Amino acid sequence: MRLKHTLPLSFLLFTTRGRLQRSSYWIVSLFIFSTFYVLYTLLIESIGDQSTYFLYPLLLGSLTTTAMKRLHDSNCSGYWLLAVLIPVLGPIWLIYQLGFKKGDRQKNRFGTVPDEAADYFKNDLGQLRPGLKTGERIINDVTQLNPVVVAEVFRPTSVEDLRERLRITTGPVSVGGGRFSMGGQTASPQSLHIDMRGLNQVLDFSKENRTIKVQAGIRWCDIQRYVDPHDLSIKIMQTYANFTVGGSLSVNVHGRYMGLGPLILAVRAVEIVLADGSFVRASRTENPEIFFGVIGGYNGLGIIATAELDLVDNVAVRRKDQKMARSDYYSWFQTHVRSNPDAVFHNGDLYPPAYRNIRAVTWLKTTEQPTVKTRLMPLRESYPLERYFLWAFTETFFGNWRREYLIDPLIYLRKPIHWRNYEAGYDVAELEPRSRTKRTYVLQEYFVPVRQFDAFTERMAEIFNRFGVNVINVSIRHAHADPGSYLAWARGEVFAFVVYYKQRTSETARQEVGTWTRELIDAAVSLDGAYYLPYQAHATPAQFHRAYPDAKKLFALKKTLDPDFRFHNLFWNTYYQPKSLES
Amino acid sequence: MLRLPVLTILMVLIAGFLFFRKKQPAPTTPAGKGCVVPKEWLVSNPHPVTPAEHLRPADQTFLTYPEWFLVHSPAEMADFAHTHTTTTFPFLYHVKQLWQSYGIVYDQIKGSFPFNTGYHVMIWVIGVSTTVEYAFKTLYETIIGRLTNPANGAVVTDEDQFNARLMQDYVDFIRMRPWYEFDFASRIPALFQTTSFFGPYFLRKLDRKYMLLTELLVKTGYGYLIKLGTKASYDEALPTTAVVVDRFPGSGLTSHPEIQVVKAESDGSALLLLPRYEAFHPAVAALVAQGVGFREIAGNNSAILLTVLAPDTWNPGFPECKPVFTQPIKTKPGLKRVAVVTPVRWLAQTVRLLKEQSVNIEHIYDY
Ligand SMILES: Cc1cc2nc3c(=O)[nH]c(=O)nc-3n(C[C@H](O)[C@H](O)[C@H](O)COP(=O)(O)OP(=O)(O)OC[C@H]3O[C@@H](n4cnc5c(N)ncnc54)[C@H](O)[C@@H]3O)c2cc1C
Repeated sequence: MRLKHTLPLSFLLFTTRGRLQRSSYWIVSLFIFSTFYVLYTLLIESIGDQSTYFLYPLLLGSLTTTAMKRLHDSNCSGYWLLAVLIPVLGPIWLIYQLGFKKGDRQKNRFGTVPDEAADYFKNDLGQLRPGLKTGERIINDVTQLNPVVVAEVFRPTSVEDLRERLRITTGPVSVGGGRFSMGGQTASPQSLHIDMRGLNQVLDFSKENRTIKVQAGIRWCDIQRYVDPHDLSIKIMQTYANFTVGGSLSVNVHGRYMGLGPLILAVRAVEIVLADGSFVRASRTENPEIFFGVIGGYNGLGIIATAELDLVDNVAVRRKDQKMARSDYYSWFQTHVRSNPDAVFHNGDLYPPAYRNIRAVTWLKTTEQPTVKTRLMPLRESYPLERYFLWAFTETFFGNWRREYLIDPLIYLRKPIHWRNYEAGYDVAELEPRSRTKRTYVLQEYFVPVRQFDAFTERMAEIFNRFGVNVINVSIRHAHADPGSYLAWARGEVFAFVVYYKQRTSETARQEVGTWTRELIDAAVSLDGAYYLPYQAHATPAQFHRAYPDAKKLFALKKTLDPDFRFHNLFWNTYYQPKSLES
Repeated sequence: MLRLPVLTILMVLIAGFLFFRKKQPAPTTPAGKGCVVPKEWLVSNPHPVTPAEHLRPADQTFLTYPEWFLVHSPAEMADFAHTHTTTTFPFLYHVKQLWQSYGIVYDQIKGSFPFNTGYHVMIWVIGVSTTVEYAFKTLYETIIGRLTNPANGAVVTDEDQFNARLMQDYVDFIRMRPWYEFDFASRIPALFQTTSFFGPYFLRKLDRKYMLLTELLVKTGYGYLIKLGTKASYDEALPTTAVVVDRFPGSGLTSHPEIQVVKAESDGSALLLLPRYEAFHPAVAALVAQGVGFREIAGNNSAILLTVLAPDTWNPGFPECKPVFTQPIKTKPGLKRVAVVTPVRWLAQTVRLLKEQSVNIEHIYDY
């Protein structure tokens, strides 16, 4: 996928496909000419004049191909190089075109914008490995910690396809969207795995009513591209735009939005394919028990085929930040952010390892001109700086200290203004390490009633430090209460603590993560809070039921709608019918 | 892709090292560090006899060198062009000679005279444009010219012969008049009238037509602009240099109509007007032949710069003049240019001694 990194230099020098941006062209030209000069001088002095002639095919070849790619960058065919034959004007035009003109900001007929990735980071289609039977694939999630062998991968391209498949088959089914959940929620051994990403159409859109109806395999980034030209924006989603609508609904996600909360608040209706292939529509008024069971329901009741979502204006937002003592945060938040009608995004970054200081970052609605040129976030082929920082914060002495006192102050010197869509368009790729084999980055999340903010922070800090957890970041967000989903993580107004940490992949390391995770869960639950379910399933069943008291209602509903327990995944295998696996 | 920038930096460093390393023979060798001219030779004349309108600053004898180098260099190229195509002409060597000699002549006058802003600006303008021109030529000749160049650089195509004529005419012209008055435009039709389209060395013919056409077009345009700029910022220069001689040559002048007498004094001295620039040296030589000595040149009695073209082994060997720097003539192995200074009062003697040694004076820099 990120092929470009592994390509040899010769690819840049001697192929004519694709585009080359201005700065790369300068560098590569400097490289070509200086290399030629060095070789030419050395050859003349050591062997003699004649020996230099073999350099010419290389020189002229690489100059031509790089110039062609540079021309492609402004949508000109490589034949325009022939302009050099027109004396004076031709070379002047070419010098301008090659060395000074900026390339097209959009994709053109020669390719995507150079150094920008063609698309958001995606997980694979299921890996093949020697020894697997025909049809079998390994389904893993983004952490690569949960490989599961499934019997077959099915990728429907229409809702009819999907219903037909469920009608004619029996046996376990697992469903995957973007597969960014981290605890095996998308797979179950020997199940029929349904990859929803083929169902990605926009079915209906109304600019006046500000609604959009989509197939559930579509990703947020696809919707953003669709609604952005109409100056509209997705009402609630996560910070990263790689996720599918179906996967986000099944988890009932949240973002950094102020005045909002769980995704269910922005859903008008969903359409569900049940275990026998039948089709139902659910909203708060129509089949409400299915509506509240399916959203946040981890594919327990049925597969979400379509969803009707609310949209809002795509306003410009300006970043404002303030560093403060953690103990001051709650009252500051109440007066400055909670009821500020202009606050669009808010989060607080709690600095490890002391957890005593917070940087509060708020994006406020503004009428000023955005400081970024593009309306949507441009994607990059690689994020070297981001990766370096992640590495440096977690692997070097005083890494966290440097972040708090040197790097963040610099980063926050800038006062950017973005579009709402831009600020919700991050690519998970920026977090992707080069390799996840030995160490991997994992997320966890805890929710506590807002007034318990200080109590929970203190317990959390104590647990992290006792276990020496390599925490990269704890990001604090706010959410209003859930209107009634069975697995609601926000039973009242809550603060969410998103913990991003690094762990080793060995078995002992995983055991240890399990131990401190269960302590954190106890801490949250004892304060009348909850933990988040799309991550690793370290919680005991007892802890799960204390955190999610309505789970029993959902389980009862599953018995009636999915009597043969077709919809499986690690979540249901762990908490619903642990024994079913052994049989 | 971090590899490319790293490799590029590495290659640029190596290339820079190769380009700037000391090579033998060095393009320019100073006679010593810093100022080598005796300080007492570097004092402006406090009470010149020469009338004010004929006075010129004393440091200009040095500062005119870089300007004149831009005549010496095309002259060398024109000589070369008769026997070789200019594809292998050492353009970059000349660029180095230009800037190095500018540095050396500036070292001589630094501190002794007020900074001559107008002159320095002019040197930078012509220096930079020549550097750009020579760099483009080097680039083009190395990338394309070398590939079409006939064996041993033989001048066999109509186009290379056209180039040789053009170079010669150009040099003859700029010895008298500013370069931008040269009629490049009229050479464009001539280029196509005097050369055949087809013929042996077809690629060479195409390449040269393209290159010569480009050069003529660019110089026509650039010359036009410089002419406008010069008119706007510099006064029309006098075409004469006033000299005060210690002995009026009298009837000796009759065969030299270019030398005008302004005033003859009762003590025998006289104020004469000599032609400036290229013709100044022959006029001086004529006066020296009649045993005349100089007291002032353009009002100055301080140091005056001369360049001579001499065999590799030559040394002035008399105390009246001091060498400042030497530059090998790259296209004529065995020959070098030596810049020397002498006070105005010893100029006649220096010219005489040089003549005795059969050394050619290339130019006398008459401020
Ligand atoms: C870097 C990163 C940042 C994150 N940030 C946030 C955040 O800010 N806020 C937040 O709330 N979460 C966050 N998450 C968690 C993320 O929102 C969830 O993991 C989400 O489910 C990912 O969507 P997905 O399309 O990858 O779903 P998947 O992982 O593919 O699926 C998740 C669950 O939904 C089920 N499912 C998928 N599609 C359907 C369907 N069509 N019908 C029924 N069930 C379906 C799957 O079976 C599975 O149980 C983050 C995750 C990562 C990796």
